[in-house]
Amino acid sequence: MTRRSRESESQADSSPRAVFSPAWLPHMRFLPDGHRILVRPLVPSDRQQLAARYEALSPAVRRSRFGSAPDHLSVHQLDELLELDYNDRFALAAVAVDEPFEPGVAVARYARRRDNPTEAEAAVIVIEAYQHRGIGSILLLDLVEVARAHGITAFLGTVMWENADLLDALRSWGVTVEPTEPGVAAVRAQLSEIEQPARHRVWKHDVT
Amino acid sequence: MHATEGPPLAPLSSDAHLVRPLLDLATSDPKFPIAAVRRGDQYVDVSAGEFVSRVRRLAKGLIAHDVVPGDRVALMAHTRLEWLLIDYAILMVGGVTVPIYDASSAEQVEWIVRDSGSVLFIIETRTMREMVEQLSDRFTECRRIATIEEGGLDELEHNGSVIPDAAVDGRLAGLQLDDLATLVYTSGTTGRPKGCMLTHRNLRTNVMQSLDAIGPALKPGDTALLFLPLAHTLTKITGLFVMESRLREAFATDVAHLPEELGMVHPTLICAVPRIFEKVYNSARHRAHSEHKGWIFDRAVDVAILWSQQRTAGRIRPRTSAAHALFDRLVYAKIRQAVGGNLRVAFSGGGPLGERLTHLFAGIGIDIYEGYGLTETSPTLTVNRPGAWKPGTVGQPVAGTTIRIAADGEILAKGPQVFQGYWHNPSATAATFDVDGWFHTGDIGELDDSGYLRITGRKKEILVTAAGKNVAPAPLEDRLRAHELISQAIVIGDARPFIAALVTIDESAFEQWAVEHGHVGDRIADLRDAEELRSAIQSAVDEANRSVSRPESIRKFVILPRDLTIEADELTPTLKLRRAIVEKSYADVIDSIYFTD
Repeated sequence: MTRRSRESESQADSSPRAVFSPAWLPHMRFLPDGHRILVRPLVPSDRQQLAARYEALSPAVRRSRFGSAPDHLSVHQLDELLELDYNDRFALAAVAVDEPFEPGVAVARYARRRDNPTEAEAAVIVIEAYQHRGIGSILLLDLVEVARAHGITAFLGTVMWENADLLDALRSWGVTVEPTEPGVAAVRAQLSEIEQPARHRVWKHDVT
Repeated sequence: MHATEGPPLAPLSSDAHLVRPLLDLATSDPKFPIAAVRRGDQYVDVSAGEFVSRVRRLAKGLIAHDVVPGDRVALMAHTRLEWLLIDYAILMVGGVTVPIYDASSAEQVEWIVRDSGSVLFIIETRTMREMVEQLSDRFTECRRIATIEEGGLDELEHNGSVIPDAAVDGRLAGLQLDDLATLVYTSGTTGRPKGCMLTHRNLRTNVMQSLDAIGPALKPGDTALLFLPLAHTLTKITGLFVMESRLREAFATDVAHLPEELGMVHPTLICAVPRIFEKVYNSARHRAHSEHKGWIFDRAVDVAILWSQQRTAGRIRPRTSAAHALFDRLVYAKIRQAVGGNLRVAFSGGGPLGERLTHLFAGIGIDIYEGYGLTETSPTLTVNRPGAWKPGTVGQPVAGTTIRIAADGEILAKGPQVFQGYWHNPSATAATFDVDGWFHTGDIGELDDSGYLRITGRKKEILVTAAGKNVAPAPLEDRLRAHELISQAIVIGDARPFIAALVTIDESAFEQWAVEHGHVGDRIADLRDAEELRSAIQSAVDEANRSVSRPESIRKFVILPRDLTIEADELTPTLKLRRAIVEKSYADVIDSIYFTD
């Protein structure tokens, strides 16, 4: 799909253009272990880092996010992942600001469904060294906020069963989890039912 | 329902090891025809007395070769009488049988023999020996290799002739219920196969549990025909179960000879995987349709299913009963004839059989008891049984077994048949049991109000072929994708006869390849059936297959005409592969893989 056709499509449905919500602004989040991460929208200039970070992932993590594990992302795939209009397609990145060179450590994204514009496919990936620290949950909760501002009422997605941390978090938010293909759970989240935990309401805009 | 328990289980006496039923039978009725083997064009019986004395001679041979209690002995052979003889001999001397599938790859054989630390390796054929000899310098602990078809067992018996009988009796007296009996290797989704440690208690208990459930369906004089690999615990338990029930077991020489040998043995009992039942049905249907009797056949099938459904509900309507009697002569008798004419009872495991097929066979007169379990559970956890039979489910828990459904839907189990852990792999063992001691099966299921278990999904990314083989697609796909021409590889085969792969070609690598092979300007779609491109992909397939056994290997592959796209819904807008959609949009391609066989 070309950029043009996607634009004409989003004009065709009645959903508004990119809508501002607080999660848009770069903001700091504290992990349960006290470390800080910066959450901000993914931008086209992240391209090189996105490609490099992908290549450093283990096949298991790649497979868990993409359902398959090519060794590197093709030009076409990178185009797709960075073609964001911040309305129909939105992605948030997490940056480990306390580390040298401030590496990106996670991305959560949604893409509005063509057949049902009030629903979106969502996906999240966290690099291995930062897994089991709650980053995926933090990004997803912020993404829920952004999506609701864009008229999206439900997230759909698939999660590998072995990703027990994420499934536990999703279930604690009241998300339905059901078996589909071997190894894979189908999840469906009604966004109106997801309560933002109290600590997420404390916004920290102390960022340049 | 979140948990359900089977009926109580009678405890085993302290000398109830696995050899006990065989010894008892040979003492009380030495002439009893315990086994039947093919000699030329007929099956000849082997008496319990003959059987045991052969086992004893082999046991002495093992002692002569310094096999001490606890030693592992690897055994790689087809299902045949000698398999059981050797297994019993190993058990008799306190050894541990390490079965290896006859179709295993060299890589797997090497790993299993080394990891188990087997001191002796008994193999069946010359071909196997040639393969094994190339690896043998890496078998650090293996002292000797004996080949069945090259007189290896005679030699073993000969060497054992100097050992006194008392030595064997001494070993038997020392056998404990909690001694290890076998290490059965299973492959997970990643990593090397792991050895499941099963004790005498585990297996003997599972035999008693099976007997408790299925016993009422058996009659004295029943004959079982064994043809699935004895390296699979389901077949092994069936073999032990038949012995325990004092029935006769016949050995098929090869699955290819099955139609012929069913007609020679006329078994009343078999243990099979769904694929076998599908084949029987499909070939009967095909024959009827090619004789222009298709409509009669299809009607007969409907009536058989209806009859079984009504029987299960408790009342068969007169009309159904009349139609059933008519079709019994016209159609069902012929299908029964194809499986030997006397088949009455069948066990099915290894994969889902399907409600329809179960009812159909019941209507024909063959009651299939579908069960559920894993190698780690000896294997039977639940089974359908006479009087508690619900097609589409895998039955209720066997005696002494508790099944619980975890919060996430995973099936958990507790019972005396649950294994001791993985050999030399405490971390894998720890990951399999939770703090309360529940074994995590990795399967997802539901219990209905009457305690019947239904399998609804799989937590592990594993395909189960219709032949009951578990195959992890991820390592195969990773190996395929390592080839520069391949952009995506999708391994398929769940509930299908064998494993196959769908492959897409990397466009930039293809351009380069096209230049080098004189195909400048050609498109992938034009060349996907061309020998040159296919042989390049075949080399990647061969490479991937090197890591697995024949039943796990990719038999066929298809090159798709284009890459997978978001537009075609094959990828989500977030670029995640949708396997189900790919399989749907290429359904005709997949059909051509499986129906040209």
